[in-house]
Amino acid sequence: MDVERIKFERTGGFAGIRLAADFDVSDLPDDLSQTLRELLNALDFPELPARLTNSESVPDSFTYVITVEAGKWHHTVITGDAPENENMQELLELLNRLARKKIKKH
Amino acid sequence: MHNHRHSLECILPEHMLEQIATKGSNAQKQMAMDNISVVYQLRAERAMRASLADLFAPTMPRAADGGKERIVYDVKRGTSLPGTAVRREGDPASADAAVNEAYDGSGVTYDLYKEVYGRNSINNNAMRLDSSVHYRTGYDNAFWDGKQMVYGDGDENLPAEDRLFNRFTIAIDIIGHELTHGVTQFEAKLVYSQQPGALNEHMSDVFGSLVKQYQSRQTAAEADWIIGAGLFTPNVNGVGIRTMKAPGSAYDDPVLGKDPQPAHMKEYVSTPSDNGGVHINSGIPNHAFYRAAMEIGGYAWEKAGMIWYVTLRDKLGENSNFQQCADFTHQTAGELFGSGSLEQQAVKNGWAGVGIAIGGETPEPKGCLEATLRFLGAA
Ligand SMILES: [Zn+2]
Repeated sequence: MDVERIKFERTGGFAGIRLAADFDVSDLPDDLSQTLRELLNALDFPELPARLTNSESVPDSFTYVITVEAGKWHHTVITGDAPENENMQELLELLNRLARKKIKKH
Repeated sequence: MHNHRHSLECILPEHMLEQIATKGSNAQKQMAMDNISVVYQLRAERAMRASLADLFAPTMPRAADGGKERIVYDVKRGTSLPGTAVRREGDPASADAAVNEAYDGSGVTYDLYKEVYGRNSINNNAMRLDSSVHYRTGYDNAFWDGKQMVYGDGDENLPAEDRLFNRFTIAIDIIGHELTHGVTQFEAKLVYSQQPGALNEHMSDVFGSLVKQYQSRQTAAEADWIIGAGLFTPNVNGVGIRTMKAPGSAYDDPVLGKDPQPAHMKEYVSTPSDNGGVHINSGIPNHAFYRAAMEIGGYAWEKAGMIWYVTLRDKLGENSNFQQCADFTHQTAGELFGSGSLEQQAVKNGWAGVGIAIGGETPEPKGCLEATLRFLGAA
């Protein structure tokens, strides 16, 4: 899988404020795109189930929707905060940070 | 900012799905069947979780003296809950502001429930109040995980000029809000989706706000009715996360967008996000409560709060909707203060002010229907 594009959305939370961003992986600095690829590989992202954890019953928890695209292939995973999965935590923190940066530029 | 993207992820009323499934075209039937199975699957999962919660209930840690016992833990930016205990009941103040805020805020919340409503902690059985602070890094959130409160530090990991959120213990109503999710878990058990979910959020905002008013001994007229005042940094154009006085006007910011809360049923937002807009549509009952409390006057926790508390404890069920909440609060006001009393009148007027008539018809979630009809090419 050669990742080209990532769509990220975070909803819910106490504040109920949506955070979303769309990245071309080639636009990212090399170290970040490298980290991103490593995390996706470590997670075996294409093999993850569409719904990773069910967070809907935890009041004020976040829900994340991550779509990874490579050519015509794409895969979407919905997850909660996933505290049991360190790679997923890292991925979520990285995407959060990137989304915040991207929003700020607008 | 709020997500008006209508999609079929929204959960349709089952009668409508069943109608499509029996009378629609093949494609329509398939769509309806997919949605029905999702509805049933969610229901089965909820039933399972509810029975798990009951199973855990007796093992909730209990206060040593059968009264108020608080423990604040430090997760040290990690994820393993609860973390290291750093302040226990009766310990002197810590050097860490978040620790003290969690300790003091859960104390005032305990006191409001105990002194005013006669409730001994979250489960009315002296459950110990556990709070964990410094959860993860850059975590813009607080939540109730079913057993304890968890608080992030906001945007502490970003440069000062990029920060939007302060630490989540900074506003005492957030603490009251999270603890009230615990109370709801033990009482009405409102499912966290669509209108029951918005009522779950509403109850947390009501008692969160009342904890703040109780702490400052403010009357309804003196209170600001803002949820999460002080949570935004000065970089944000906003007074707080929500306002019960004027839902929809808490913030309007180039980065965060505009407060999406409606204050009236005619602006009800149908969205698949946020579990069906639980943090959005709570603006409607929130504003009804504000109007009722203002009409009753005095300290809002005394009468309006009592009416809402008894309704949460004794009347609402896991699938209750706005109409039922209105009817039950009206009924409760009659039982507590007399049929036709000023208090009961105020409750009726409060709901009327947001477009809900006592004893009226339950409005359909029309956005979902429109989205479906559009999808099916029928509209
Ligand atoms: Zn909440």
